[in-house]
Amino acid sequence: MQGDSYPENSYELFTQVIDWTERFLAEASHSLALDLELLYLNTSSVKAMMDIFDILEEAHQAGRQVRVVWRYDERNERIAELAEEFKEDCTFDFAITAVRVSA
Amino acid sequence: MNGTDERLLEEIAELLADPAHRDHPLHAALSQLLARHREQSRRLDRLIGIADGFQHTAQQDLHATRHELERQLHRQRKLSRIADRYQLLLSERNEALRNESHHDPLTGLANRRLLHEHLERLIGTSERYQRPFTLAMLDIDHFKRINDRFGHDVGDRALTQLADTLQSTLRTSDHCGRWGGEEFLVILPETTLEQAEPLMSRLCNRMRHLDIRQDGVRIRITASVGVAQHRPPEDYERTLQRADEALLQAKRQGRNRWLAAG
Repeated sequence: MQGDSYPENSYELFTQVIDWTERFLAEASHSLALDLELLYLNTSSVKAMMDIFDILEEAHQAGRQVRVVWRYDERNERIAELAEEFKEDCTFDFAITAVRVSA
Repeated sequence: MNGTDERLLEEIAELLADPAHRDHPLHAALSQLLARHREQSRRLDRLIGIADGFQHTAQQDLHATRHELERQLHRQRKLSRIADRYQLLLSERNEALRNESHHDPLTGLANRRLLHEHLERLIGTSERYQRPFTLAMLDIDHFKRINDRFGHDVGDRALTQLADTLQSTLRTSDHCGRWGGEEFLVILPETTLEQAEPLMSRLCNRMRHLDIRQDGVRIRITASVGVAQHRPPEDYERTLQRADEALLQAKRQGRNRWLAAG
């Protein structure tokens, strides 16, 4: 997932993502890697991301291999700080990586 | 039921079972009482068991609810914290954009848009309180020649140094900005033409002393300035126009000077 997120109805948008994640974790048995490059999130999108991380955490606790990579523009440290906030309660592999983005 | 009770009951049961007491007048009543007591005891035990069970479940529920509440509070705090930070990020981004859209990237001075905002505000107070203001239009002399001869890099340096000189010469309540190419506008609130004169002389003087060098050679930079005081009820566009005309006049008279609009 990448970009800004401030949809009018984030519930509708994220229900699909959350459903997909839950279905994948329930039906498949191989590992799940989530690649993120998020910029601005509105409050309901923040909540949706927290829900997704909770689902991943639960799967991780149940022995599934789960990994998140959050990439951010190296010029924007603030995004890294926000990613750290999200990471706080996660015990699975959660990497926050600076990338060089050509302007 | 405690041990003493249990022993008493056993004793009564034994007495009742003894054939010697079978015909005792209290035998029937006592054996009924014993049976009744045993039945009541059993019911009481069951009742206590059920009640304990309920209490245990209720305790577990309470515990789970408390746990869930704490989890939700933690999540809620986290959510607010993150959302607040995103909001801060957004407002900083807005501020940066606002700044970029109001300033000239080369010199850092106000751009034409911001100058117009200053002028709008100024004309408002000027009309309300009959306060004077004066505008000065400044243009670097033969700027094209500097660019052609020494390159744009030197031209840019001339512009930034001139911008610095403007800012350090003016008073804090004055505004200045890049009007266009090599043209700068100086806004002097609460200032008459007469009061602007010493400021203009000082400005032209400082301009002459700008030290811009290329390969060790000092490049002479001068500027011409046209100054006009606002004349109510004209709009500021008209004042600007008069300052422009005075600037043109200063150029015609040989540049490197300032002239007041007639």
